[in-house]
Amino acid sequence: MSTPLTRQIESLYLGRPATVTAVRTLTDKEKLFDVELADGPLGHEPGQFVEVSVFGYGEAPISVASSPTAPGGFQLCVRNVGRVTGALHRLEPGAMIAIRGPFGRGFPVDRMRNRDILFVAGGLGLAPLRSLIGYVMDRRSEFGHVTILVGARTPGELLFNDEYAGWARSPDTEVHVTVDRAAEGWTGHVGVITTLFPRIQVDPKTTTAVIVGPPVMYRFALAETFAKGVPEDQVYVSLERRMKCGVGKCGHCQINGIYVCQKGPVFAYAEIAGLEEAL
Amino acid sequence: MRPKVAVFDFGCCEGCQLQLVNLEEALLDLVGLVDVRQWREAMSEHADDYEIALVEGSITRESEIPRLEAIRRQAKVLVALGACAHTGGINAMKNHMPMEQALEIVYGDKARWFDTIPARPLSAYVPVDAAVPGCPVDRQELVEVVKALLMGVTPALPTYPVCVECKMAENVCVFDLGLTCMGPVTRAGCRARCPSNGNRCLGCRGLVPEPNANAHKEILAEHGRTVEDILAEYRMFVSSAEVAQ
Amino acid sequence: MTLRVMEKGDLASFVERLIASEPGAVGPVRKDGKHVFARLASVEDLDLAYTTTLLPPKKYLFPPQETLLRFRLGAPPVVEPVLEAPPLVVIGVHPCDLRGIWATDRAFGDDHVDTNYRARREAITLIGADCLPDEHCFCTSVGSHLPEPASFDLFVTDIGDAVTVEIGSERGRALLERYARSREATAADLAGLQKRRHAKEAAVKARLNVDVQMLPLLLESVSTSPLWEQLGAKCLSCGNCNLVCPTCYCFDVGDLMQLNLEEGERIRRWDGCTLVDFATVAGGHNFRREAKSRVRHRYYRKFQYLMTRYGRSFCTGCGRCSRSCLAHINPPETINALLAEAEREEA
Repeated sequence: MSTPLTRQIESLYLGRPATVTAVRTLTDKEKLFDVELADGPLGHEPGQFVEVSVFGYGEAPISVASSPTAPGGFQLCVRNVGRVTGALHRLEPGAMIAIRGPFGRGFPVDRMRNRDILFVAGGLGLAPLRSLIGYVMDRRSEFGHVTILVGARTPGELLFNDEYAGWARSPDTEVHVTVDRAAEGWTGHVGVITTLFPRIQVDPKTTTAVIVGPPVMYRFALAETFAKGVPEDQVYVSLERRMKCGVGKCGHCQINGIYVCQKGPVFAYAEIAGLEEAL
Repeated sequence: MRPKVAVFDFGCCEGCQLQLVNLEEALLDLVGLVDVRQWREAMSEHADDYEIALVEGSITRESEIPRLEAIRRQAKVLVALGACAHTGGINAMKNHMPMEQALEIVYGDKARWFDTIPARPLSAYVPVDAAVPGCPVDRQELVEVVKALLMGVTPALPTYPVCVECKMAENVCVFDLGLTCMGPVTRAGCRARCPSNGNRCLGCRGLVPEPNANAHKEILAEHGRTVEDILAEYRMFVSSAEVAQ
Repeated sequence: MTLRVMEKGDLASFVERLIASEPGAVGPVRKDGKHVFARLASVEDLDLAYTTTLLPPKKYLFPPQETLLRFRLGAPPVVEPVLEAPPLVVIGVHPCDLRGIWATDRAFGDDHVDTNYRARREAITLIGADCLPDEHCFCTSVGSHLPEPASFDLFVTDIGDAVTVEIGSERGRALLERYARSREATAADLAGLQKRRHAKEAAVKARLNVDVQMLPLLLESVSTSPLWEQLGAKCLSCGNCNLVCPTCYCFDVGDLMQLNLEEGERIRRWDGCTLVDFATVAGGHNFRREAKSRVRHRYYRKFQYLMTRYGRSFCTGCGRCSRSCLAHINPPETINALLAEAEREEA
């Protein structure tokens, strides 16, 4: 394939050409895009993000929702909330976009190896977490017991709900799902995500917790996790911020002195515990 | 398929539509991108199958409400065109007096032939999808809004004040010229048109979403404006809290 | 480093020849009783007897709005990076603004080099000039009152009868040799330069009552000071302080389409951390909702975050934010109040 983007001049702001190869509607607000780069693999770590360009509309930071262990391109789970994400939602397979990145620091998989992992995913937080869940599932023998907690406001807002059964079938893996408000036909658990904590067993000595969700969720989910005895340096979060450049220039993502696009989006809780603006 | 557009007006001076006419070359390009179905000020034909309605003026009479509601039912996208439609505009100055008094000032001894209600923005009666603020609208911004609509984007207004654009234009601050200015609390998007041309900002684009009006009023007082002056400044364009966006 | 001396008349002809021979020359010119950097048509336009310009020369390195990419939609879209870097001689840059350029050089240059900034930076020749401060200047408190040798190509100081010219780069030396008549400096010239510098230091009245290198430490202890609440109540969130600052470099990026809706460009625009929605994410959550946290963030960037990262204060003491703040929020008063509070608490 000929490269569609010219690249005579080096530029920090020029993306790599990419094609949307598939689009799947997940919920009323979220779609899943399969993306292939023209010039090779993305080469990301679970938890990293990319800057996605839809020319004419702009660029937006989106976390990669697929594991680097998955074959082919990569996946982006996008909520329609603005100009760029709205334009993405109107794209059809074959559309050409551009990708910068991957940017930032992902989940420290090497530190997690052989440990039990507790995943806590609220709403769209499952998108970045899925890159790590996929990684762990693909290399299941390298990790200990896996507990996955998934929460959403309503059953219709649960992301990737066709994948939960597959995760639960993996050896030594349990999946618990909850919704804040039930809807017709929902037979599962009802309650905010912290109401799942009494159901699970956590060994604080062997467990790493990974928590990703909307700003309101963190305080409560973290409190429950600490109540289980998991130490602060074994709890990871991924933080959402406004980002325009991805390379530590534009200033928008800063939390106190830290650039989320450089030092994050994944942080050990211990790294941000003292930062007033973090959570 | 070119989107079908119609232009309407309520209580206003039609100056914003005039800005649309005055786009000249850009108007021709725009007209090439859209299918204008109805526009009283500029054409005689009219059809009611529009998708985008550009609506100028504020609602100042009971009889205008059902007409606006009918436009809303037809239009997929309703755009408030100009200060009157967006915030109530100059017309809303009358809201600070009894309606009988307003009628008498305007119509004198013929007042009994007319009816009037407090002037309110379109958003007081129907959902408004987008707005082009200003008295009159800024032509460049108007073109940007139409482009955004054609691209399927709901145009977002700046949430920062005129000062931002004024500083970027490297104007000497209006306060340093011995005048006072509504720029610090007024929504940007006009490229600081008035201060860039030696005038002070009167706030025609409405307040920013979170104005620090108390601090601004203290600054106006510090620069010699009386309480009456300050009230008048705030009543001229920004008195109405009922702003679409 | 070489010091040369020019007669005043020779400085004027030097500037005249720069204007005539170089592709672009800009310098401080009068505008409504203030000064701005602008294109010089002749040496008459240049007014070196100025305190400060409305915007710092940063605007030539990082313009208020600039194009990063140009594109044409289609399958595939055609995208071209844009690097605009017109050669420019900037005349009359004060030491504080040279320090500002040091700061943006760090911010745009260290890791992930910003290609657009770098291209403009390399195309610019800086001819500095000494100044006399006004009541808002506090350069001596942040150590930016003296021109640093590596920060300019040439630097001119008025020593009375003549001007001294420091040569800071080969580019500067070449310009001087090509266009100017100058002579070697004598001991008397050097003494004149010293005297002039002392006079300037003595003329700086506003000051921080603390060694600037202590500020990262001081700020560590005052993040919950009631002062931030007071400043937040006064702050208009108008962004003036950000926009006039020589070291503020935050930006927004977006696409602009032409009317044909086929061609467009990606542009970046100045942004400011004191503006309401600076830290608002797409979903609507604002991580710095209150004015007090935005004002505080700005101070912490200047005197702690970036200072810790790059070793020096990101405030240049130029006083532009003090002059442009309608609410009279200014670094000397703010820092001194925080200092007094910290000292009270210790006592």
